[in-house]
Amino acid sequence: MPRTAPEVHADLVLEPRDVTFDWSGLPLHWIPDEPLATHTINVLHLLLPEGERWFIKVFKDALPLITDEQLREEVLGFIGQESIHAEAHQEVLDHLLAQGLDPRPYVRQIAWLFQRVLGEKPKLGPRQRRENIIERVAFVAAIEHFTAFLGNWALNSPGLDRAEADPTMLDLLRWHGAEEVEHRSVAFDLMTHLDPGYLRRVRGMAVSGPLLVHLWVRGVRFLLAADPTLDGRIVPTWRKALDISRRGLLPEPMASLRSGLRYLRRGYHPTQEGSSAQALSYLASSPAARAAAR
Amino acid sequence: MNGHPMKKIPKKPSTPSRETAPAPTAVFGRTTQLDVDNPPPDLYGRPQPDRFMRAVTTFSDLYTPAMGRPLLRRNPRLPAPRARAPLSLVITGHRAVAEEVVELRLADPSGDRLPSWQPGAHLRLILPSGRERHYSLCGDPADRTTYRIAVRRIADGGGGSREIHEELHLGARLTVRRPRNGFAFCGEPRLLLVAGGIGITPLLPMAREAQRRGLDWHLVHAGRSAASMPFTEELRALAPDRVSFRTEDAEGLPTGAELLAAARPGTAVYCCGPTPMLAAVQAAFEASPAAALHYERFGAAPILDGRPFTLQLGQEGPRLPVPADRSALDVLREARPDLPYSCHQGFCGTCRVQLLAGTPEHRDRRLTAEERASGALLPCVSRAAEGETLVLED
Repeated sequence: MPRTAPEVHADLVLEPRDVTFDWSGLPLHWIPDEPLATHTINVLHLLLPEGERWFIKVFKDALPLITDEQLREEVLGFIGQESIHAEAHQEVLDHLLAQGLDPRPYVRQIAWLFQRVLGEKPKLGPRQRRENIIERVAFVAAIEHFTAFLGNWALNSPGLDRAEADPTMLDLLRWHGAEEVEHRSVAFDLMTHLDPGYLRRVRGMAVSGPLLVHLWVRGVRFLLAADPTLDGRIVPTWRKALDISRRGLLPEPMASLRSGLRYLRRGYHPTQEGSSAQALSYLASSPAARAAAR
Repeated sequence: MNGHPMKKIPKKPSTPSRETAPAPTAVFGRTTQLDVDNPPPDLYGRPQPDRFMRAVTTFSDLYTPAMGRPLLRRNPRLPAPRARAPLSLVITGHRAVAEEVVELRLADPSGDRLPSWQPGAHLRLILPSGRERHYSLCGDPADRTTYRIAVRRIADGGGGSREIHEELHLGARLTVRRPRNGFAFCGEPRLLLVAGGIGITPLLPMAREAQRRGLDWHLVHAGRSAASMPFTEELRALAPDRVSFRTEDAEGLPTGAELLAAARPGTAVYCCGPTPMLAAVQAAFEASPAAALHYERFGAAPILDGRPFTLQLGQEGPRLPVPADRSALDVLREARPDLPYSCHQGFCGTCRVQLLAGTPEHRDRRLTAEERASGALLPCVSRAAEGETLVLED
């Protein structure tokens, strides 16, 4: 990836990009001989389709509350991009199933979580409903902080290239990561537009952060147990995860934690993390985006 | 415009349908409705309810109704969400810079600093007639008191460029939306800027920025004739050996390969010009050694073989005629301003509406056969046969 000047690109017009991935050649362990690293990243495919559809639902509910036209346009662009992300990850689930790894029990729980637990509740008064929408926007904003962190990591992860990870999967991670970096401010800006209060931001992170970590750990355990080629031989531990992250195949757990804490700094804004120039530069060269443009 | 001569003979809808094939259905497709009435079973098939799922469900059932109580609501003393106001600017320059091209300079009436921008950004002008038009900023981002745009007169266009050429004058006021950027310059080390006609406008500030940063850049500007091409002298003065010009009257229409001839391995290409030129560059791109292609994406795809039809909102609701040259989404948004939409091209699915009656012509790439059968419709691209009425859920 070309190195680019680290400047802040403000006021970007966001539009969804169509993509085409060909998964027919994807091996089950797409980082060769690294089942733990492979499945740790695979948790993304379990969480994202349902999670991103929930983002879309929340943001569509928030649209009538927005009074700034530019923010409204950015939110619409965000919705379109998230919708394409959800589809792209969905395709990987079908591929896992075809290779004998049945992700359905976990996806079933995630669907319950996003549609029932975090979904719209019946019997709320108009004010409660409005507060509930803003609260869920704050959850999304905190999660988007992590997706931008992970996206920035994916764009700067030579370890995955060194390990000869599958190029199509790398493109999915980097294309998605780049769009997460590109639209990293939208959820935060929407939250502060609807409620500039600091408490809301803290609550968003206090609920989303630990939930995300727990879902991830559960997901890794589940995938390793469900992988038909492993027979439950690999038991994940934090020590192993740390080793793998030192080889550059996963983000470092401590760096992730520190990033979560940065979100709570008073002067935080998402533009302080990652580079739009690097992200847009990748998007202009992504094979999947180019394949769909033809 | 497809150039077909208009026939006066009344004809049956014998034109080929533009209906697209549905998207393939996947096991995990959107059409699979997961059971959200009963808590999910244990992950590993053990005969016990999942404790974690039960805990988060209980938490949320207590948390949500508590919303709105003190500390769990928006502080009522904080100011209400506000909109950023558009700019009100005055025209301080209006002069011809090439055949049929005027350059406009805009400034704050009291000389205040204007919002900053970066190469590739555009302004949206709201003209006195109410028309809205986007124009790329082509001045110097370091000049914080003046915006510069250049507008080619399009005689058979929608009238916006004619209005700017003929009716705007020095001292006139214009409402202008703040700069936005849909064509951001990423400053890759090796650059090829490809401009067609008035498409030079966003690339000029990029060339200046590339020169300032000492990047390895080259610019090709193609146009009809030398007299029709603005800013030639300005580009030559910037770096005479890094810019090249070609005109249609001397050398003919350039091919994509010719426009990309200066690309080397790793080159990032920035292209702005008429649609056929961009298509030619896209087609030639894979065969060139260049690594990245940046271009500005303009929302809606042109409507091919559109026929007028009617939308009806609800069984008893108002009827909205959709003309041949407008999308159903555009018409629908006038009646329902909060309708979400995003890609305008039938691939993201954001604008999905529910059909109650009528036969649509699906033109999207997103919906599966099951979704179409259940009445889903993407009004950004999908239409209906001439005279058909599509009744939508309101």
